[in-house]
Amino acid sequence: MSASTDPTPRFVYELPLAEPAPSSSASADPDAAAPWREALLIGNVLWFVRLRWAAIASLASFGLVGIAFPDLLHSLGLRPQVDWPFLAAALLLLANLGFLGHARLIVRNPLRRGAIWNLWTQIVADLLVLTMVVHFLGSLETPTAFLYLAHVVLACIFFSRRQSLIVAAIAGGLYATCVGMERLHIIQTPGIYLDPLLRRTLTDQPAFPWVTLLSALGIYFVVWFLASHLSELVRGQELELAEANRRLTVAQREKTRHMLRTTHELKAPFAAIAANAQLLLKGHCGILSEQATQVVARIAARCRRLAVEIQEMLQLANLQSAEEHPTPTRLDVTEMVRWAVARVGAVAQERRVIVEEALSPATIVAVEDHIKMLLTNIIANAVVYSTEGGIVRVRCEGTPADGPVVTVEDEGIGIPAEKLPRIFDDYYRTEEAVRHNKDSTGLGLAIVRHVATSHRIRVRVESAPGRGTAVTLRFPTG
Amino acid sequence: MSYLLIVDDDEDFATAVATVLRAKGHEVRMELEPSAAVRSMTERRPDLLLLDVMFPEDSTGGFELARTMRWRHENLKTVPILMLTAVNTRFPLGFSEKDIDDDWMPVTEFLEKPVDLDVLAERVETILAGRQGRRG
Repeated sequence: MSASTDPTPRFVYELPLAEPAPSSSASADPDAAAPWREALLIGNVLWFVRLRWAAIASLASFGLVGIAFPDLLHSLGLRPQVDWPFLAAALLLLANLGFLGHARLIVRNPLRRGAIWNLWTQIVADLLVLTMVVHFLGSLETPTAFLYLAHVVLACIFFSRRQSLIVAAIAGGLYATCVGMERLHIIQTPGIYLDPLLRRTLTDQPAFPWVTLLSALGIYFVVWFLASHLSELVRGQELELAEANRRLTVAQREKTRHMLRTTHELKAPFAAIAANAQLLLKGHCGILSEQATQVVARIAARCRRLAVEIQEMLQLANLQSAEEHPTPTRLDVTEMVRWAVARVGAVAQERRVIVEEALSPATIVAVEDHIKMLLTNIIANAVVYSTEGGIVRVRCEGTPADGPVVTVEDEGIGIPAEKLPRIFDDYYRTEEAVRHNKDSTGLGLAIVRHVATSHRIRVRVESAPGRGTAVTLRFPTG
Repeated sequence: MSYLLIVDDDEDFATAVATVLRAKGHEVRMELEPSAAVRSMTERRPDLLLLDVMFPEDSTGGFELARTMRWRHENLKTVPILMLTAVNTRFPLGFSEKDIDDDWMPVTEFLEKPVDLDVLAERVETILAGRQGRRG
């Protein structure tokens, strides 16, 4: 087939950048999700510790305001608070250091239910210190009772509904105890307001403490009900995602292991066939007739081609392996292109295809082996699917604004428009390609797809039957 | 002439390799299992071991044998090992890191199957020559 002057327009296909989500057949083991839950809880522990530093700073600042600006507070009708804010801040500081130490310990050596115990201790410690704050600020005449709500909501985020209800009950119990002890004059406080009449007027109303207490308890319960319900929904989705992620990881690992085993099972007998064919060809078993030599030579040639196919299967498995994360480095694109052109040099010579290069300097940050695989496959395809005496033009343009662009254009057999969207599928080969080159594995462009996806390289294929193909690679900047 | 031991569960492959190496004038013995290889090497120390990686009962049996030789058998510690593997070592799929760590894995050289028998024979001669050079 030769390059035609047929004015058939070229069709364009752009490889979508997003990788299709792989499906998982791994069975779900309910206990296997436990480490994910523990990991989520450890994240919550650390977040809660960070949040407490802000609370400690607020308490200490409150104490400092009492020392630094007593007149200002007096003018506002407030009593400067000095001792207890520092005491509360110190208690929380010590507790927080303990929580942080424990959290680091469980990050390094995960203990069963370590995170949940840490969170429980944090919440209970906070509620006790908070009760102290509520008492000193004024449990009835200030809205401090609502400070407990923060912990009720947090408990809904961290814990199960039952456990968060227990937290709401503890908060309610502590608040009721505080109010009760004040009513029984077991503990006394002047409160935050300077005017003693304000507190007395309110607290002397027989129903006032009960109305305030019951209102607070009712609000705790309503907030608990709503927050725990919403949290349960969100947590369910979070766990579902974590479980799906875990299943995918397991399935990918299993697939990789299976690939290794299959490859070995294929390669081992094949190595024996190849070795024995070489024995015959090299005369270790006596002199063969010319016809027999030709047959053995064909066996040896097929062995070499099969070796390439197995190698490509391995490359693909390696690219698909989630366990492998090679480090990207800065690469000279022209050097990569020249390397790939050299790799296909022998095939080009055999098929009398001329490869012309027009390369401008450009660099990318990528995994060297992967880029070599990508370029080799694209240039090899251009050479293999060229007609005898054809020209393959490889261009590299360095555009700092948009990133380097590499174009590989041939005058070969081309690809029908309706088949373009499938050419990157594993093992897909067009009938035209098979007729032109029986040795095609159908894996080369699948490798290209994986490398392009992982490196965010945009691949555009422009082709028409009999008019050749142009593949444009747009590398990301950087 | 050197005494070479091939340990490979694929008898057809081992026989082909043995034929080429015998043609080069070496004495070659084949063993199909790592356990038999240890017995064989205890009886007579080879000048070079050609070792497969994956065995039917142990997918990393070759690595295990190499480690056993290096750390448990004083007499076999310095036997050069040419590892012939169907698994490309650049794609260490499924092996633990210790199996493919160059520092930890005490083999002299790797060759990937399917192997060109001329390349194999040349590599064997190079390793043997290096060994003799060190002795001299």
